[in-house]
Amino acid sequence: MDQSPPTIIRFSGVSVRYGRLTALRDVSLEVPCGSSTAVLGPNGAGKSTLLRTVLGWQPLASGSVSIGDAHPHHARPRLAYVPQRQSVDWDFPITVRGVVDQGRYPSLGILGRAGAADRDLVDAAMQELGILDLADRQIRLLSGGQQQRVFLARAVAQGGDIFLLDEPFSGLDLFGAEELTHILRAWSEQGRTVLAAVHDLTLARSCFSRGVLLDTGLVADGPIEQVLSPANIDAAFRRGRCVHGRAESAAGVGDAP
Amino acid sequence: MSLHDLLVVPLGYEFMRRGLLSAALLGVSGGLLGCVLVLRRLALMGDALSHSLLPGVAAAWLLFGTSTTALFFGGLVAGLLTALGSALLSRLTRVKEDAAFGSLFIVFFGLGVALISKLPTRLNLSDFLFGNVLGVGPSDLWLAGLVSLVTVAAFVVFFRSILLETFDPVFHRATGGRGGLVHLGFLTLTVLNLVAAMQTMGIVLALGLFLLPAVSAYLWCDRFLSMLLVSVALALFGSMLGILISFHAGLASGAAVVLCLGVIFIGSALLSPRHGALRALRGGYAR
Repeated sequence: MDQSPPTIIRFSGVSVRYGRLTALRDVSLEVPCGSSTAVLGPNGAGKSTLLRTVLGWQPLASGSVSIGDAHPHHARPRLAYVPQRQSVDWDFPITVRGVVDQGRYPSLGILGRAGAADRDLVDAAMQELGILDLADRQIRLLSGGQQQRVFLARAVAQGGDIFLLDEPFSGLDLFGAEELTHILRAWSEQGRTVLAAVHDLTLARSCFSRGVLLDTGLVADGPIEQVLSPANIDAAFRRGRCVHGRAESAAGVGDAP
Repeated sequence: MSLHDLLVVPLGYEFMRRGLLSAALLGVSGGLLGCVLVLRRLALMGDALSHSLLPGVAAAWLLFGTSTTALFFGGLVAGLLTALGSALLSRLTRVKEDAAFGSLFIVFFGLGVALISKLPTRLNLSDFLFGNVLGVGPSDLWLAGLVSLVTVAAFVVFFRSILLETFDPVFHRATGGRGGLVHLGFLTLTVLNLVAAMQTMGIVLALGLFLLPAVSAYLWCDRFLSMLLVSVALALFGSMLGILISFHAGLASGAAVVLCLGVIFIGSALLSPRHGALRALRGGYAR
């Protein structure tokens, strides 16, 4: 065993229900500080629900979630969230800088004025993600990979140390996915904690050091190679296929977003 | 006809001064609201909402007479009932929200027309539907001023929340934003403005004052703030020009305003250098 870093996110017996539907069943797990973790599983396995639970916006049916030692609501400044790229309208009249500026909104509150420090954080975030020269461009005029980097820059500008990414690879071409892999690896070297919902198991293997495999309940949790053993994949993905009668690809490669 | 006849003579009439001022006040707030309607793809819902105000206004008229306050609250109640009713219908039944809204508003509108046909004869249905600038009284002007002020204040104070909720509601929620509250506040503001615009624009045409300047601005602007400002400027220009034209040509005021704004919209859709149809036909802007 390697010497384990402190735990930053802890789930203890967490269950989440939407009406009669159980989205997460009795999940207990620990995410080490500075790790990069892929949240894996078939559609409907609770990947997005798990991220929302960390954000504290999902009421729990039972159990508890803590960030450091705090309730998620009190840990909000530490959390940076990156929604799915397809969730926004890229025709929206806004520039790259306009989107990255939004990362500062939570700290500014309703009427606080953005100061020089905020502008520096926004510039630094765009610089880090290599989009500073695109700052004044309308966001439709970007490639898929550049759009993803705008969202990542907004998350960096929030100033947190825990990053929650919802399907960051979906809709990216090969080049965009490779670019994102490099960025996420660099983040984990810098000690940032990354938790990402991913449905492509091949990408998960190449990009993340740890995995959490879900099938509403927790199937496996640990180093990515152990989590993605054939037996575990079978356990997580086969049940969904039997129940829904759908030919869901176990590898998840090429799955529609 | 000299410029004096065109611009100054109409101002000699009390009702024209009121009509112009009321159109200007509601142009400012309508131009702002329209941008959110366009960007959140709520344009058709806004249209349905405006029709659904009619029974509330008619019932208020039957019960309380010409009191502006009564008309206002009547319209407000009818609009909110439609919005809440369709939200409930879509949650509790199999019916989806757009079908629920479409069904409810047409029932409300029918009820409104039925009620108005029972009103005392001196009242004209077409004034309710298409606007009559002659009917703008001092209390209507106060209402327009108040509603406009509240709307502008809401946009100034909650600018960031409105931008986040319009652009990326998921991120807004994740950062602790109250998306539902922003949405509810926005619906309320829309109903307030529709009711206030009823006298000048008419229930059927009022939404044009909100939507057309915003969708025109959307064709020209690549920043949210500039879209808001251009939309307000177009709404101001189009509504005042429309009222003047309605005076000289003897047209229903709501129709004249909507036609002016319509010309601006069609011109923008054709000519906008980056997002217009001519540019696309020449193959300039790759979608």
